[in-house]
Amino acid sequence: MEDKQGPPGEPRPHRWQMVIDLDRCTGCEACVVACHAENNIRLSGPREAAEGRAINWIRIERYWEGEYPDVKARFMPVLCQHCADAPCEPVCPVYASYHTPEGLNAQVYNRCIGVRYCGNNCPYTARQFNWFDPQWDPPLEQQLNPDVTVRQNGIMEKCTFCVQRIRQGKEQAEREGRPVRDGDITPACVQSCPTTALVFGDGNDPNSRVAIMAKSGRGFHLLESLGTHPAITYLKRLDE
Amino acid sequence: MDVKRRTFLHALGLTAAGTLLPGCDKEIRRLVPYILPDDEIVPGVADWYASTCGECDAGCGIIVKVMEGRAKKIEGNPLHPVNQGKLCAQGQAALQRLYNPDRLQGPLRRTGAQAEHRFTPVSWDEGLPELADRIRHTKGPVIMISRPLSGTLADVVSHFIESVKGSLYFYDPSPELPLRAAVRQAFGIRDLPAYDMAEADYVLSFGAPFLEQWLSPVSFGIAFGRMRQGRKNRRGHFVHIEPRLSLTAASADRWLPIRPGMEGLLALGIGHLLLSDHRSSLPAGRLPAYESLYGGVSLDDVAKHTDISQADIKGLAKSFAEADCPLAIGGGTACAHTNAFESHLAILGLNSIVGNINRPGGIRRYQSAGLATHPKVPWLSERRIKELAQALEETDQRPLLLLYDCNPLFSAPPTVPIQRLFDHASYIASFSGSLDESTVTADLILPDHHRLETWGDHVIGEASPHRAASLVQPVVVPLFDTRGLGDTMIDLTRRLDGSHSGPDSFPQLIKDRWQRFHTSHSSRAHEPFQSVWEDLLQQGGLWESTVTEQRLHLSSSAANYQPPQFDGEAVDFPLYFYPYPAPSLGQGRGANLPWLQELPDTMTSAVWGSWIEINPATAQAMGIQQGELVRIHSRHGSVDAPAVHYPGLRPDVIAMPIGQGHTDYGRYAARRGANPMTILAPLFDKKSGALAIGATMVRAEPLHVPGHLILLEKPGTTAGGGSDLISIERPRSSNART
Repeated sequence: MEDKQGPPGEPRPHRWQMVIDLDRCTGCEACVVACHAENNIRLSGPREAAEGRAINWIRIERYWEGEYPDVKARFMPVLCQHCADAPCEPVCPVYASYHTPEGLNAQVYNRCIGVRYCGNNCPYTARQFNWFDPQWDPPLEQQLNPDVTVRQNGIMEKCTFCVQRIRQGKEQAEREGRPVRDGDITPACVQSCPTTALVFGDGNDPNSRVAIMAKSGRGFHLLESLGTHPAITYLKRLDE
Repeated sequence: MDVKRRTFLHALGLTAAGTLLPGCDKEIRRLVPYILPDDEIVPGVADWYASTCGECDAGCGIIVKVMEGRAKKIEGNPLHPVNQGKLCAQGQAALQRLYNPDRLQGPLRRTGAQAEHRFTPVSWDEGLPELADRIRHTKGPVIMISRPLSGTLADVVSHFIESVKGSLYFYDPSPELPLRAAVRQAFGIRDLPAYDMAEADYVLSFGAPFLEQWLSPVSFGIAFGRMRQGRKNRRGHFVHIEPRLSLTAASADRWLPIRPGMEGLLALGIGHLLLSDHRSSLPAGRLPAYESLYGGVSLDDVAKHTDISQADIKGLAKSFAEADCPLAIGGGTACAHTNAFESHLAILGLNSIVGNINRPGGIRRYQSAGLATHPKVPWLSERRIKELAQALEETDQRPLLLLYDCNPLFSAPPTVPIQRLFDHASYIASFSGSLDESTVTADLILPDHHRLETWGDHVIGEASPHRAASLVQPVVVPLFDTRGLGDTMIDLTRRLDGSHSGPDSFPQLIKDRWQRFHTSHSSRAHEPFQSVWEDLLQQGGLWESTVTEQRLHLSSSAANYQPPQFDGEAVDFPLYFYPYPAPSLGQGRGANLPWLQELPDTMTSAVWGSWIEINPATAQAMGIQQGELVRIHSRHGSVDAPAVHYPGLRPDVIAMPIGQGHTDYGRYAARRGANPMTILAPLFDKKSGALAIGATMVRAEPLHVPGHLILLEKPGTTAGGGSDLISIERPRSSNART
């Protein structure tokens, strides 16, 4: 932690993190559509979806527990965990999958050669491959967000924590001559979440909501035993 | 324009790809070409405009990101009191309604027979006089069926219908009419009151799907989040009672699978216990009325008919009575039976018994925003459809039918009989923006703008603790040759009365109305209106920081509990049929939006189609495999859909989502899945006339062929095995089942 502070006078580097409170998540999927809209995620259509080729950077996993009538359904929003020790990174032969200084698992699309090693190595199935070129029936293409690249056939893609929104937030702060404030930057999923189950912020700022919430006694990481050190902390759902 | 845009996108694509490479941004930024010389538009810089969502009637505030004149993304307006910056899946998908490839691009006139669905484009100068002429010379009555309208548009439309001596009806596939009728009887008010869920600490829901598309979904979502984790050391408890473990039930601490139609009886049982244990906080004078309502049931009967044990009922009553802020809320399935009105009276009465009316965490009412003047328009209940069709046929009157943004031919069952009302019409004109099953029968279509292309306003009223009037403003130039309904109405009025009086245009009318309101009410009345108006548009509307609470008064709770009626003998039709609105597609309105078609159903992970849900034990007994095509028979018809083994469902119930099975409505919706409404019996809630959608009994017939079921979940995990993520972490709990 100490070495990340940098020399005095330099702004402290960011470490982007997310907290997902499962006690608030209602599985409404506002986040899923927000992600599609923000990130130009292509439509797959029924045929490709049936082949398992639908792309969702964020999905709501649903687990059934118990037997009728004492059955429960639990939800877990799963997206790229932006692991500090990411299994997807060392296997990429062309360094398309790499770690940014701010803690993001980035995917450089124009380096990607589509070997899919990273996808195979991701324990969270957070990476998805483009098996065909995206297509929008006109005039649907007019909705495309010009801030985000449209990915072509043969490219691996994944959640970026909305890196374009992070950049915009930082540029805005720079223009206004101030540091980035907690809550300035929200990925599309976090922005839309009605119950505020998703919270995003700078883990290096000890006063940020995300840093405080991550210390909650309810916190856990997905597949913690694998030692991937995810940037996403889940807070357990409470049951009485 | 198009080529320029593509160049532009391409260039920006490069910027975005480059953003991940540190140090490259300066070079890349120079690549952005200034291709659009318009002074107002800075390429690459987004403008955000405030407006109001129109996907449902909640009236959430939105801000729309516009770049180079195109809408790019819809987010919640952080200043708006209803949704506070948040927005649901449907609201965000409104963008695909704007840019939908199957949107109507201009006025159409039908050529050939109705069944042929052939239309030719006409100009507005042909279409408007034709409709005015038809209305002037019609021998039958003018009937307009519209989605619920609010604000100035509601006024304009109802004045127009009044001027031609017609009748205007609001039609919504699930307007919760039994709940409205019960609220009117219990409290003597017309609109639904506000449920203060954020402050409640024990929510007892009788089927109310408040975490799905119900009344005001985003504001309920916000309140739910606060109730759970928004208060220090106080986490609200939530019990949900419904035959199916719905998306809402999944978030409950406890789900109780009640026998269909027995929600009211359970409420009576709980109320009975509260009263007999002297846990009531009713004034003594009020007690006898409640004792006569709740006193007539015995706990044995309640347990037997509801299929909920006496111990559980006692537990519910005890927790409800002991909570500081208990809240009983009914809706959804509690509105789906012939006894729905009485059920809701019993459910609402529980709140009165524990005295949580007009209290934080209870049922409250607030003074409405001053702009609300819209006239009282009757709902078109399914029973009213039936009565209307019969009356017109008996008197041999052929109505002139006007339609706006609603699709009764899809969402009302054929048994009602909605088709006869349409068949009997002498002329049908529609103002809807897409060719749905109802609009495709029209002789003339004069399509409305999309919400993002038009002016309007919306008065927030119901089921929300917020008093606000929200503004709708155009954020993009209309894509096609469409016209706002308000302007169409003003034009038609002028043609019919031959005068040139009245407002110039609908936008002018809105502005005038807000100006009048402003000068009489606002604290900024001394300022020039133009600057206030710009501020209002920038903010997205007008809301007050303090709202005045109006006390609710108990007027009456007298009701005789009636057992629910069902259609179909148990011998032939042993299973309850339970159609429910698909959370992603609503009642089918979202089916033409590809984002919503591809949005996996949270409970099943199904996309792009229909399915039926069956308890795994029932499925095993009947030999129905997951994914196998099943035919569901009622006395009124049959539907085919693939089976999904659904652990959270009573073994005597077949559930099916409503929303698919369109025959028209564009490329994404048409010929996909099946519509469960087509097999429903014409049974109604006795008081309100709403269709009892849960009152049809069915039988299931496996067809021994695979159905077209697309699940995003990995094969073999649906029946409860859980996925790898959980089984690695928690081997014991999730692998206990196979």
